[in-house]
Amino acid sequence: MLNTILGTLSSGVAASTSSYESIATFNATGSETTFTFSSIPSTYQHLQLRALFQRTTSTQLDVGIRLNSDTGSNYSQHSLSGDGSAVAAAGAANNSYVAIGVGPGGGTGNYFGASIVDIHDYAVTTKNKTIRSFNGADTNNAGISAIRLLSGAWYNTSAVNAITIYTFGDAMNTGTTFALYGIKGA
Amino acid sequence: MATTYTLISSNVLSSTTATVTFSSIPATYTDLVLRISSRISVGAIDWPLNLRFNGDTATNYSNVNIYWSGPSSGIFSNQTSANKIFGSTGNTATANTFGSIEIYIPSYTASQNKPLGSFGVPETNAASFDDGIQAYAGLWRNTNAITSIAISQDGSGFVSGSSFYLYGISNA
Amino acid sequence: MPATYEKIATTTLGSAATTLDLTSIPATFTDLRLVVVGADNDSAGYNIRFQYNNDTGNNYSFTDLRGDGSSASSLRVNNDNYIFAGSMPADINVPFLATLDIFSYAGSTFKTALVESSTDKNGSGSTRRLVGLWRSTSAITSIKLISNGGTYKAGTIATLYGILKA
Repeated sequence: MLNTILGTLSSGVAASTSSYESIATFNATGSETTFTFSSIPSTYQHLQLRALFQRTTSTQLDVGIRLNSDTGSNYSQHSLSGDGSAVAAAGAANNSYVAIGVGPGGGTGNYFGASIVDIHDYAVTTKNKTIRSFNGADTNNAGISAIRLLSGAWYNTSAVNAITIYTFGDAMNTGTTFALYGIKGA
Repeated sequence: MATTYTLISSNVLSSTTATVTFSSIPATYTDLVLRISSRISVGAIDWPLNLRFNGDTATNYSNVNIYWSGPSSGIFSNQTSANKIFGSTGNTATANTFGSIEIYIPSYTASQNKPLGSFGVPETNAASFDDGIQAYAGLWRNTNAITSIAISQDGSGFVSGSSFYLYGISNA
Repeated sequence: MPATYEKIATTTLGSAATTLDLTSIPATFTDLRLVVVGADNDSAGYNIRFQYNNDTGNNYSFTDLRGDGSSASSLRVNNDNYIFAGSMPADINVPFLATLDIFSYAGSTFKTALVESSTDKNGSGSTRRLVGLWRSTSAITSIKLISNGGTYKAGTIATLYGILKA
């Protein structure tokens, strides 16, 4: 059985006319393998996901996202990365997720990967959804160290109402946080 | 309490448009952020947009970038005397797919030359294509406050649905 | 309660200085975002560097991706005594832009920052993206802008914002 948690909806934040608002947050406890932001309101114009993450396993793999629970091959993704000695480019069509970055695995102590993920016009129903991510993880040579610029798209014009963090079935360690923010367009 | 992150203006195109202009930008913020979702009518998967400030069309711009190029499976860097920012898609990108670009323009009212940074990504459902992901550092050599931003392209126009959102960041 | 995206502090150099400090950072936010716009008072191209909590030990490391106008490359430095954020344009009249996004700055894990550096100088310069690590479990309460010599020009400004999750 998958251990899933739902995001904690924003509450108690002072009302303001700011265009940048918190929507929901996950704080991992170490056992969850799935994180789904559901019932995302369509009242914003853009979404930003700010993530800090570490796997419980020792494998250091990408973390991805899927939109509206679509697990089909309806995504593309591309990356531009540096590992401290070389740069590399990669791309894939007809993928089943969009990578948003790489993070250290379990056993690397206090080291976490970080990502800032932007989705413009997420609720516009005439556009596929383009995803832009800035990611990095540094472990002072204790594990993976990499810097990545990533892009992807979900080939579906539906409004995004759910974002699932795809961890390849790995649980995420305590200290992992996925925070979703909305940016207004009016 | 002053609001830190505020929408100044937006433009969502309902028809193909050559240039989008934000004018009369108030001087009351500290930094500007442009969030763009754009597709250009041109026979390419990806295409750059041009950024000009205060109507300045002279060669007062420069940039250095790093970008992804799929067919060569490489990452490249070049330097130009222009403000061309990649990240828009073109006509031969997968239908209904728009690029995503964020441009940060700090201290836009300061009496100094104007640096800027951007991160743009076109997308299409293909493993490889020219001129993909781009990070960019730019400079406008002018010490005047920025009061207008013109966003243009060298194709046949930004297509309907392209959107441009200008935000002000305040340090007050 | 603070708003989601809120200015914490702004510091502007009234005269050229070797450092710029942001202190007494409250622990009430989730992430920090630091935006620095400045220039090299010596027109020498000195480095832009950051330290936290006055820690001058070799407790920092970074991995970067850079384009210098002719090639792209990546560098990693371990066990250093600062977070690197590029080199200032070697021209007092050409400002740079550096931003740091510091995640869970008040949490009890090591501190990861994503850094963007834009230092175009009309024929030279670079664009960089970096990840910087501070191996300390302490909350960040201060950030110091330093360099490897030289001074920051008067008018160099650093603004610190807090971002608060739900």
